[in-house]
Amino acid sequence: MKKTSGFIKNIINNKVMLLMVLPGALWFLFFSYLPMMGAVIAFKEYRFSRDGFWASIIDSKWVGMDNFKFLFTTNDAYIITRNTLLYNGAFIVLGLILSVLMAIVLSEIVNKKLAKVYQTGMFLPYFLSWVVVGYFAFSFLSSERGMLNQVMEFMGMESVQWYSEKKYWPFILIFVYLWKAVGYNSVVYLAAIMGIDKSLYEAAMIDGASKFQQIRNITLPLLNPIITIMTLLAIGKIFYADFGLFYQVPRNSGTLYSVTNVIDTYVYQGLKTTGEIGMSTAAGLYQSVVGFVLVMTSNYIVRKYNKDSALF
Amino acid sequence: MGKKRKRFSLLLTSLMAFSLALTACGGGSNNAATGTGTNTGSSGNGAASEKPVELIWYTIGGPQKDLDKVMEEVNKYTKEKINVTVKMNMIDFGDYTQKMQVKVASGEPMDILFTSSWAFDYVQNARKGAFMELDSLLNEYGKGVVDTIDPAFLEGSKVDGHNYAVPANKELPAQEVWRFNKELLDKYKLDISGVKTMESLEPLLKTIKENEPGITPYAMVKDFMPILPFDYIIEKMPMAVYMDTKDYKIVNILESPELKSSLETVRKYYKAGYISPEVATTTSVDDLYKSSNWFMDRAATQPMADNLWSASYGYPVVSTPAGEPYIYNWSVMGSMQAISANSEYPEKAMEFLNLLNTDPVLRNMIDSGIEGVHYEKTGENTMKNLPESKNYDMPTFSLGNIMINYLNEGDPENKWEEFKKFNESGVNAPLLGFNFDTSKVTNEIAAVQNVKEEFWAPLMTGTVDPEEYLPKAIEKFKAAGLDAIIAEAQTQIDAWKAENNK
Amino acid sequence: MSSITKKERDFHHLSKPWNVVFNLIAGIFAFLCVFPFLFVVIISFTDEGVLARDGYKLIPEKWSLGAYRYVFESGDMLLRSYGVTIFVTVIGTIVSLLFIAFYAYAISRKSFRYRNFFAFFAFFTMLFNGGLVPTYIIVTQFLGLKDSIWALILPLAVNAFYIMILRTFYSTSVPDAIIESGKIDGAGEFRIFLTLVLPLSLPGLATIALFSTLGYWNDWFNALLYIDNPNLVPLQSMLMRIETSMQFILQNSQNSSLSLEALRSMPQDTSRMAMVVLATGPIIFAYPFFQRYFIQGLTVGAVKE
Repeated sequence: MKKTSGFIKNIINNKVMLLMVLPGALWFLFFSYLPMMGAVIAFKEYRFSRDGFWASIIDSKWVGMDNFKFLFTTNDAYIITRNTLLYNGAFIVLGLILSVLMAIVLSEIVNKKLAKVYQTGMFLPYFLSWVVVGYFAFSFLSSERGMLNQVMEFMGMESVQWYSEKKYWPFILIFVYLWKAVGYNSVVYLAAIMGIDKSLYEAAMIDGASKFQQIRNITLPLLNPIITIMTLLAIGKIFYADFGLFYQVPRNSGTLYSVTNVIDTYVYQGLKTTGEIGMSTAAGLYQSVVGFVLVMTSNYIVRKYNKDSALF
Repeated sequence: MGKKRKRFSLLLTSLMAFSLALTACGGGSNNAATGTGTNTGSSGNGAASEKPVELIWYTIGGPQKDLDKVMEEVNKYTKEKINVTVKMNMIDFGDYTQKMQVKVASGEPMDILFTSSWAFDYVQNARKGAFMELDSLLNEYGKGVVDTIDPAFLEGSKVDGHNYAVPANKELPAQEVWRFNKELLDKYKLDISGVKTMESLEPLLKTIKENEPGITPYAMVKDFMPILPFDYIIEKMPMAVYMDTKDYKIVNILESPELKSSLETVRKYYKAGYISPEVATTTSVDDLYKSSNWFMDRAATQPMADNLWSASYGYPVVSTPAGEPYIYNWSVMGSMQAISANSEYPEKAMEFLNLLNTDPVLRNMIDSGIEGVHYEKTGENTMKNLPESKNYDMPTFSLGNIMINYLNEGDPENKWEEFKKFNESGVNAPLLGFNFDTSKVTNEIAAVQNVKEEFWAPLMTGTVDPEEYLPKAIEKFKAAGLDAIIAEAQTQIDAWKAENNK
Repeated sequence: MSSITKKERDFHHLSKPWNVVFNLIAGIFAFLCVFPFLFVVIISFTDEGVLARDGYKLIPEKWSLGAYRYVFESGDMLLRSYGVTIFVTVIGTIVSLLFIAFYAYAISRKSFRYRNFFAFFAFFTMLFNGGLVPTYIIVTQFLGLKDSIWALILPLAVNAFYIMILRTFYSTSVPDAIIESGKIDGAGEFRIFLTLVLPLSLPGLATIALFSTLGYWNDWFNALLYIDNPNLVPLQSMLMRIETSMQFILQNSQNSSLSLEALRSMPQDTSRMAMVVLATGPIIFAYPFFQRYFIQGLTVGAVKE
């Protein structure tokens, strides 16, 4: 009895804030939590029923963990897991360093007009779909008419069959990813730098701190919370690979598979002929659960050091 | 006139609906709850016979600007004939499978939907219960279909002994031809009458390679695969039976001498520079066709294809057979219209499909649009497209019986006879009528698919040395579980064989 | 006022050589990013025949407007798609900014008892989803949004990723002292939020608004799922449809009817690139509008005192 009245009191005390989260919370309920019930398909062999989707789910037979098997029982399981983790790991680390660097560079450039021009330029790759990016990569790397080979021949080097040489692809893929993502991500850090109280820099100037000391002692520490959040969120997605990047850019070249096949491309190729939605749901669930565990662990560690930077 | 009648019938229905609601309110509300949403839900009793039934139809192809305009005309016609109106929705080729999978899985109301072996897979979805079984409906309301189309279509598209869709009457077998850029043939006075096998191409390719440095002798794409005497269990998977098989034993084609020798030839051509070094990642050689920078390739044909190719490229193309016309499962199932399992009006849907496949007026209206707007007739069975036809340009083959279409300008008079002849020339492939049920080996198939993606294109196009890579591929396929799939398929084939006295 | 800002900036000046180095770093990277886009523009103005013969060239032998003529032939279809895209982008950004700004603010406040719960409630949706079909059912059958413009707006309106970023912006750039001072002045929570917090978080809000704008502008998947009516198809969806259908037809060349179909409907390289230009062009001009908030920064001091 006492407990419930305490609860009601809490509600009343927090009513303004609750009102603020209400629209968003309802949205999450409808667009995320209600559909989540459908994840039960991952444990079913889905067959259509005349009476619609929910009836189909109920009628379909339980198959336990069978739908997950195809992710683990193959010889490629190690390769796709390794590729996904290593590429995403590289993307997180290098992406972070380059984005922050670029944000600091842009914020420090004296001529703000030029800085704006650079920044607009960096954003353009974000607009090109992976299909189009794939064309470009091809116009550079094509062995017959590609610019890279033409330049290399001109300089007296031997031309390379780019689309069948595995060893170059980890670098190519990382380069293309960074090329596309850095401009977009640096906006967040740039905005964070702009939000820093200018008086801090003034005080540092008076103390005689050099520009680089200011960056190290003021800018970076104050970027810390946003860097932590962005990284934590990226860790949650570490088991999801960007399908377009790994499928369109290497032109689905078979000889490159051992360095380009990731979980998402594997699932796509594997389910193309059978089209079992149970299995694709299972793959998604697997990716989510692993991401979830990793984020919870990292978040726990972050909380230990700095409660304010943690996700929750 | 039409508008007036519409308004009147609307008044009538609303009056009826009102009285129905008064007298049988329980039943009425029930209907509304399950209702299709588009059809005011007043099916069921007496009202239905007065009011035309609206059928929801999903079919493949790029959405056309004038679709609604044409459908309005179509509906006038079908309302009169069978008291049906149609709401047609077009979904473009690339999106069709995914979008229909979601729509069907979510139980969205629909009556008729396109299905085939290459988009929204027919066999798979029939087995999962997406379509209504049509055996009795065909007999009752689809007599015209049964009488008109080549019986091989209905026979070949049975899944586990039942029909689940109405196939379009079109070319039945599949045949591959070698195509040549005629200008180059003439220039070097090359003779193609002796060309049949891959090996026999060598002297021609050599001439072109030596004399035309800017030309790609063989315009190949990554999907290439040598013509082999096999009928595949699943297309482009290395398990098949021989075309002349008696015992229906499945072989792993990677271990067959036929494949090995073919691959050696392709590899030779690749090394000789007859094929683009990048063939293993090339999906389109459209630029070669456009610039006429190619000498030959291989393509799937149908009657009068040479004319179409020549007209479209703007220079003459000739062809000669590369293989026999075989009737495969996938060629029989090339284009079909199914009735959705959740259709409210399966009988009406069948009546409509029957009309579509037998009535030239309806078929041509759906295919070419409105007479006088999109096309004009130039004879009893001939027509000419008008400039407006760019706003209504439908993929003919996907919309039912093509052989009752009017002939276009430039079509030879005997076009449909040629098609019939071609169909008669087709030889049944051994597995015609057998459809592999993959549900017990989905895990293995997922793994094998990935191995296939890794090895197939490089091997088949000669990009890698078969001496070295063929054994590697065989090993990886086995490790991924190919043998388990073969064993399962063999069990099913043996059962099917016994059942059908093969 | 402006002279004060100028003086403030003087503290910030880099030494000349370092300024050159920084300009080089940013300039080179920006060039790498712009270059392919320039290439798209060049290809879209290249003569088709020349392109087929020579492949992609920086300076083609022959220029042509043919691709644009071809794209504009579909006339009102394209204009309508522009209309849909612009409407969805403008309304969508406003709606989503409202949702996100409030939610993020609430969970950024330490005094909010349930902040961790709601932070988790949002975050959880980033990782887990029910898959395509269940979402489709909720949107079409439960919310009845099929073939409605709201099906292009609502599914993208809230995004846990943006909420988490914006929450961090609030908690780093709005000191607690300011909120406390507002309370002492007797302002209610809403007033504090509107008059004190929002002006201070403009860079963060601009960032989220920008991301949201781009998200709506580039979205094609929701249209693929929920829209059957060709009049409601946004630009990117049209572009994507043409791309995927082309790839699909190429992959099924074994089917003779389909490969003959391809002869008729295959869009040319040049017109595809022209569509990329047309689909990207307008949004690039909208960019500077957001940009001033995260390049120039704010004169924060005035607000804080």
